[in-house]
Amino acid sequence: MAVNRGMRMRFNAIGAALLGAGLLLPGAASAAEITEVQIINGLQGPAVTVVVDPNALMAEVNANVGKGASALPTWAQLANLTQLVVDIEFEYNSTAIVPNSYRTLGAIADALHHPLLARYKFLVVGHTDATGAADYNLKLSLARAEAIRAALTTTFTVAPGRLFAVGVGEELPLDPGNPDAAINRRVQLVNIGEVR
Amino acid sequence: MREMRRKFISGAIAAVAMIAAGSAQAATVSFADAMSLMARDCGKDVQTYCKGVPLANNGVGQCLMQNQAKVSPVCIQTLAAVRASLAARIEAQDSVLKVCRGDAARRCQGVVTSDAHTLDCLLKAADHVSKKCNAAITNAGWR
Repeated sequence: MAVNRGMRMRFNAIGAALLGAGLLLPGAASAAEITEVQIINGLQGPAVTVVVDPNALMAEVNANVGKGASALPTWAQLANLTQLVVDIEFEYNSTAIVPNSYRTLGAIADALHHPLLARYKFLVVGHTDATGAADYNLKLSLARAEAIRAALTTTFTVAPGRLFAVGVGEELPLDPGNPDAAINRRVQLVNIGEVR
Repeated sequence: MREMRRKFISGAIAAVAMIAAGSAQAATVSFADAMSLMARDCGKDVQTYCKGVPLANNGVGQCLMQNQAKVSPVCIQTLAAVRASLAARIEAQDSVLKVCRGDAARRCQGVVTSDAHTLDCLLKAADHVSKKCNAAITNAGWR
């Protein structure tokens, strides 16, 4: 297996537009930790109502490993939706979330429980950088997105019907000119409309 | 002077009311704060005894409890405290709409029926909302 196991997936605000100020609490780790309020503000209300089928996303990317995902029809629709990127770190070559990222997961849970977001459902999309084999990266990104969804829907009591895990491996880099850059390792949260 | 005094008194009353409301129900914390405490007090033990264990299904918490004999006492204490305050918060979140139903009917007529709009109305009307409802909103972490 190749060297990169994407030590972590980054969840950055696209364009790094997030109001940087991390809330420093006991045990808080990195300075730029995202807060509940930032997540609520970032994910409130879909800008455009598009029906996105998580299964269609996976089918498209599975059929096009190594070819990029931005031009795939269902993936192309994601760009129009309300979304946010957050930093979550994992153990090396594993789907276990490291303690330094526990707070971020908790903040996501707080936001998802808040009445302002309670009626929406979301995609959890895992991304890696391009180090290593594309098909392995795709599997790892999906497994990590699933680990996040599993934690949120059990330990953090978010209704399972509100979250859908999807992986896209290295196929949608934020910085295509530097495919191995850390900024490409991330997970997107995408508002895909109201729960029915 | 009188104005200052009035402010001081109303401040003192508010403080007492807060303490009273707090003692009526268990204090709650956010998931974010709970996880910060857990990372601070249990992070090292997680790396030592529970590396690779998923957070899902409370896996990390259970793993730490299974290794209770070796895990630091502070971590075990934090786990129990975190569990209790999170349970109280979830209970408060689940109960807000029920506890505040009467207040919402009185104060929020004509407000679009949605949990978010009702909450917004109740927050704005906090001075006229029942103590119980205000306490539930506070414990839910939605103030």
